[in-house]
Amino acid sequence: MKIVIEGNHAVSYGAKAADVDVIAAYPITPQTQVVELLSEMCATGELNAKFIKVESEHSAMAAAVGASAAGARAFTATSSQGLLLMHEMLHWAVGARLPIVMANINRAVGPPWNVWSDQNDSLSQRDVGWLQVYCESNQEVFDTVLHSFWVSEQLMLPTMLILDAFYLSHTSEIVDVMEADEARKFLPPFQPKQFLDPKDPHSFGNLTAPDAYYELRYEIDEDLRRGIELMKKADEEFEKLYGRSYGIIEEYRTEGAEILLFTSGTITSTSRVVIDEWRDRGKKVGLVKMRLFRPFPIDDVRRICRPAKKIAVIDRNIGFSIGGIWAQEIRAALYNSGYHKPVFGFIAGIGGRDVTPETVSEVLDHVDHMDTPDQDVYWIGVKHEPVHSAR
Amino acid sequence: MKKKSEKKRIYRGVEEMPIAAISESDMSWNKTGSWRNVRPLYDPKTSPCIAGCPAETNIQGYIKLMQQKEYEEAVRLLWEKNPMPSVCGRVCFHPCTEKCARGGIEEPLNIPAIERFLGDWAIENGVTETPENEAPRDATIAVVGGGPGGLSFAYFMAKKGYPVTIYEAKEELGGVLRYGIPEYRLPKDILDKEIGRILELGIKVKTGQDVGENVSVEEIGRHSASFLAIGLQKSRRLGLDGEDAEGVMTGLTFLKSINAGSPVSIGKRALVIGGGNTAMDVARSAIRLGAEVEVVYRRTRDEMPAIKDEVEEAAAEGAKLTLLAAPVAILVENGKFKGIRVQRMELGEPDESGRKRPVPIRGSEYEIMGDSLLVAAGELSNAQAFEKMVKTTNGLIVTDDIGHTTHERIFAGGDVVTGAATVIEAIARGRKAAKYVHARLTGVIVELEREKKVISMSDINEAYFTPTRQVATSHVPLEGMRNRFAEVKQRFTDEEAREEIERCMSCGVCNACDICWMFCPDAAISRQDGVYTINYDYCKGCLICQHECPRGVISSEGEDV
Repeated sequence: MKIVIEGNHAVSYGAKAADVDVIAAYPITPQTQVVELLSEMCATGELNAKFIKVESEHSAMAAAVGASAAGARAFTATSSQGLLLMHEMLHWAVGARLPIVMANINRAVGPPWNVWSDQNDSLSQRDVGWLQVYCESNQEVFDTVLHSFWVSEQLMLPTMLILDAFYLSHTSEIVDVMEADEARKFLPPFQPKQFLDPKDPHSFGNLTAPDAYYELRYEIDEDLRRGIELMKKADEEFEKLYGRSYGIIEEYRTEGAEILLFTSGTITSTSRVVIDEWRDRGKKVGLVKMRLFRPFPIDDVRRICRPAKKIAVIDRNIGFSIGGIWAQEIRAALYNSGYHKPVFGFIAGIGGRDVTPETVSEVLDHVDHMDTPDQDVYWIGVKHEPVHSAR
Repeated sequence: MKKKSEKKRIYRGVEEMPIAAISESDMSWNKTGSWRNVRPLYDPKTSPCIAGCPAETNIQGYIKLMQQKEYEEAVRLLWEKNPMPSVCGRVCFHPCTEKCARGGIEEPLNIPAIERFLGDWAIENGVTETPENEAPRDATIAVVGGGPGGLSFAYFMAKKGYPVTIYEAKEELGGVLRYGIPEYRLPKDILDKEIGRILELGIKVKTGQDVGENVSVEEIGRHSASFLAIGLQKSRRLGLDGEDAEGVMTGLTFLKSINAGSPVSIGKRALVIGGGNTAMDVARSAIRLGAEVEVVYRRTRDEMPAIKDEVEEAAAEGAKLTLLAAPVAILVENGKFKGIRVQRMELGEPDESGRKRPVPIRGSEYEIMGDSLLVAAGELSNAQAFEKMVKTTNGLIVTDDIGHTTHERIFAGGDVVTGAATVIEAIARGRKAAKYVHARLTGVIVELEREKKVISMSDINEAYFTPTRQVATSHVPLEGMRNRFAEVKQRFTDEEAREEIERCMSCGVCNACDICWMFCPDAAISRQDGVYTINYDYCKGCLICQHECPRGVISSEGEDV
């Protein structure tokens, strides 16, 4: 059924379609509508799930951990400071091998206080072992909730699906939503092999000495890597049933491209327009939309980059002193590829600053006029005239 | 619980390992109790209501049984300390409720209403008792005076199996309950039924037996043990001329006449002297006879010894309270009462009773006119008949703590020992004396009960108790009381009783709420049949159980290190 909904409600409808058992959440701008709608669904009985109100995001994830450990399909959503407060529990979910799914609405981290979009909250969690999927549209958000459970429950690892604050979270689009009955064709009920059962008591996550801890970490790494193929398979299975596919990376007009522009999230949509213009002008440029950040699809990135001459990456985030995080990852992926490509790293849109077609063109201009980067990081649009700051 | 394998499992490499750490054997080898330097222990304490009751009635205990719908068990537990709950639920000044810790959260429990409900339930359901067989052969017991003290002693002795004879001077048993307290506070049929149940234990009653008149003191002294509980018979006089005039009578005489159904004439306007319960009973009874009533008391309302409710209800029924005024003369005309002259008073320093002494204000005298004067300025004892056998002081019989007089076989209790006190005090003294008399007659040593700590509000974990209002006792409208001697306060309905008993916090007494069991982080507390046991092999002494216990049951003590 096609309805017009904002991105946050696409998350809620996705969780409903996934027929989650437990939702534990704490509200935060710009995530609030996600749990608002879910709490209403639980209250009316439209969704048969336990909605647990908690006093912090740390508790939200702790409750999701408990629910998932008991064999429930657990869901939550958060943003920015809330995600950072969860940090300890994010590790827990991974170490305990719990397939929790969480939506994170990308919001800049304070101080200074800022509710607008950037990716530093989620990308700060890059090494905890969660899968991370970045979405471009509300439909993709809805579908990714289902992908996430499908993959997570096979890997027994948690997935974070990510959408930009306001550009998606508060923007309405047409979304084809489905009910749990229909979604069940794709996503079977959660049947964990090992779960907390009072009739067979065990302690979970108990003290484990170096002789076994190491192997458990190895298993997480191995399984997370398997997530690349599983995420592809999820997308394929989903397409067979419902006709929609995203891949883990989308290549847009990359045939014969000499410059490849890497983007993620909603900057991708803007970039599509710019790439079209540049192609119309005969420029050999192509767009690569990175959807899967963890596990990082190293081989796919190498394959895509091989025919190109130059790589440009727009990061709506900053790893202070070393540049954008996507650029770092792509550079690292290419280092042992056996070939060399110059990688231009651009910072744009941090703290919700608009990334317009002009911004993207400026990025491509830079790359077009240079053979190799003369800086490790380019900050686009830094003002050198008086700034109108605090609202 | 599934038996866990004792053997440690060996994994041959990562392929055999589970994906997440999970315990395979339990941690029982790790005796964390060795870390402890302080130990928690279950240490039941005394609920403040019980500590507040002179008779130590197990209020928390019977309410808990009522919560479990075990009404019969509940009333039997109540009777262990007080055989007259239907009476006390109506007339007691309920110090239990004043002490109730729930009062520290919002409002105390309405304990008298619950007690009355339970006592009446026992009457309506014909719950009876049978004596035990613990009395030695040939022992006989005499009780002089069939008021609350004498009935209590008789009850507890008869319960043990003693043959008990009550010598009562009047025509019927009950003492102040029958001849003092009016019908609208304590209906006679309730009193009769409660006394009837006590007598069913096999107690013999001889009425019209005035010791020193038609029964000799020696006859009483011949019994294995006897208990003197003759109460206070004489009204204190004002010591003013005109006290014998027509229209002047004592409050006790007035109440006795009404309770006996005798005609009594008090005219249109009655003046009542006094501020105690007798004065209130007199005033409210006079209102019921149709008189306009003015109560004259020499101190303020705060110093009135009467139960607060009684004063409020008397005022609500229309009694005028003239405070800080004392009669200095009785005005008589042709041998008939006309009025009193009173002097205004002010409060000075506290006297020996702890109340502020009324001090006359010079030149403040004025007259209050009326048709009758009912003097309820206190009662005096009349123990002369016994003076040759037991020591008395100021007309009161002297006893030790357990009620033993100076005579080997004679015990005493109630107002004749304490001076004007309360029904529950008399009942308490009757029970205490019975316990020691039984011990003396059997040679069994009475073990002192360990004094348990009384719970205070600070021992209660308020987080577990939602504030709820007291279910109030309903009463008939207090206006227009003429000719209405029917009971004023109404009994709790079943629903009201259920609602009110649920408010009990069971202070200091475990009610198997499971909080300690749930909170123990070491699972060192086990439970069976509502009883918890701490396994000190594992208890680390964190004292979370003590901290969390809603009702202060758990204490702690240091370990000898």
